[in-house]
Amino acid sequence: MSALLSVQDLAIRIGAATPVDGVSFDVSEAEMLGIVGESGSGKSLTLRAILKLLPRQAAVSGRIEWAGKNLVGQSEGAIRKLRGRQIAMVFQEPMTALDPVLTIGLQITESLREHLGLRGQAADRRAVELLDLVGIPDARRRLQNYPHEFSGGMRQRVMIAIALAGEPKLLLADEPTTALDVTIQDQILKLLLRLRDELHMSVILVTHDLGIVAGTCERVAVLYAGRIMETGPVYDIFRKPAHAYTLGLMRSVPEQLQARQPLRSIPGAPPDPGRMPPGCRFAPRCSLAVTECAVPPPLVSVGDGHRSACIRADAVRVASQVPA
Amino acid sequence: MSQAVATGDLAPSPAARPRRRFRVRAAPTLGVLILALLLVCAIVPQWVAPYAPLKFDYRATLRPPSAAHWFGTDNFGRDLLSRVIWATRIDMQIALFSTLFPVVFGTFVGCLIGYFGGIADVLFRRLVDLVITVPFLVLVIAIVAVLGPGLTNMYIAVSSVGWIFYARLIRAEILTQKRRDYAAAGRVMGYGWPRIVFRHLLPNAITPVLTYWMTDMALAILLGSSLGYLGLGAQPPTAEWGVLIADGKNFMSTAWWMSIFPGIAIVLAGVGFSLLGDAVASLFRRR
Repeated sequence: MSALLSVQDLAIRIGAATPVDGVSFDVSEAEMLGIVGESGSGKSLTLRAILKLLPRQAAVSGRIEWAGKNLVGQSEGAIRKLRGRQIAMVFQEPMTALDPVLTIGLQITESLREHLGLRGQAADRRAVELLDLVGIPDARRRLQNYPHEFSGGMRQRVMIAIALAGEPKLLLADEPTTALDVTIQDQILKLLLRLRDELHMSVILVTHDLGIVAGTCERVAVLYAGRIMETGPVYDIFRKPAHAYTLGLMRSVPEQLQARQPLRSIPGAPPDPGRMPPGCRFAPRCSLAVTECAVPPPLVSVGDGHRSACIRADAVRVASQVPA
Repeated sequence: MSQAVATGDLAPSPAARPRRRFRVRAAPTLGVLILALLLVCAIVPQWVAPYAPLKFDYRATLRPPSAAHWFGTDNFGRDLLSRVIWATRIDMQIALFSTLFPVVFGTFVGCLIGYFGGIADVLFRRLVDLVITVPFLVLVIAIVAVLGPGLTNMYIAVSSVGWIFYARLIRAEILTQKRRDYAAAGRVMGYGWPRIVFRHLLPNAITPVLTYWMTDMALAILLGSSLGYLGLGAQPPTAEWGVLIADGKNFMSTAWWMSIFPGIAIVLAGVGFSLLGDAVASLFRRR
């Protein structure tokens, strides 16, 4: 299957710091890719770099291939044509991402007019369809409502409806459920999965929550300190993690079966982007680190489509078989 | 504001609330009533004024307030009530015409400067520094002195400086609004900057400008009256409140009514616009 979006060796430099360094991944058609990482791992920056939404002082290098064209270095005008029409984005905070002074009907029809040239009755009809599609009951009446008249989950649905208005091929979801409570999270994720199937749309889901990725994505890339630590099919990574960081992340998720166990967090904190460790960026916090970890490890294949940047992959495999 | 609401909600006595509510509503109502009265005087003075404003009556000069002349008469026997009413038309014009250009142009420029920043922003901030170091009245008087007295030149003088204050207000507001997520969402949606700035950011940023506009109209009337008093604004025999006060200053000891009543009219207009400004502010704050 050919890749819809292909990111190769993406690096983002802001001043002396390199918060994203050598990130590569592909997204196929109708695929849901998860990008997992802690805050500051560069996952949001990576997402924003695709649509050229970074502040001017951020220098982007590498390749971002979309429909055979490299998006890096393209003009603002050229990228603008893609935004909303081919690649759309949903934000973390549904409370603030809608314009507070316009009704949601106006905000959806605005997007429809911009991207599809729909006006008047046709736009209104399509707006109702979109709200139906994202599961907002009584859609026709809700068009007249302002954002503050919706709950958080409903607003996120509205955001998704607006994003879908341009019929994009790829949806970038930047922590779309982080600000929502758990039951609503689940509904929004199911909605994203349903939309992917019905509209044959690809989704990049950025999150810090491994559980969300496990339940929704086909493939995942684990990001740490601006580098990809491990990437591959979700099933393989959860069954056979090949990177010490992934294992640490999985161990720090509370498990239902082992109630009242102390949480095993990863000691230490992520490195300062201005002063990255010379070798493996996780090595200073890694319990399995050896002296060879001071040399930058390459991302090597450890299975079918499963790649890891850990020279201690075998040790991780062994450790992961031992019950936590 | 939030504190006031919190204490209001916690107020134990149920009687305290209706009184609060009444006070909150009374002020804007009063402001609207005052302005409605002034607008009627400005639009149809011939229906309201009992006499023609320029009609001399040498048999009745400098008469104190009476049933025939509620506000008295001036040294030419003109009815002061009628003159004050006709003056409303001029002063309302001053309120509108000396603020209209600053509001529109200042808002437009402020939006662009706030959104794009860069070198234009640096230059604009220096310009603001320059303008606020010189008192506004002095600056306007200087410009009018160069252009020559009269209402049109006064509008030009006030407008050429006044827009800077509006631009400053809206620039600051746009700076905070453009960092909000919905601005980023607009960019993600592929909207162009004119749409993001004028359709999404501006309506969210306009409140302080509207509030300031109301106050500024009161200030414009004061300024117009000051210039009229100094002989740089409206020219006699046109009735304008400032001019009327100036007319009366030589008769202050014998005919106090000549200056007092136009003065009261100025105060009334000022209070009316200020109350309306407060009302506009609280209206938007509740949203």
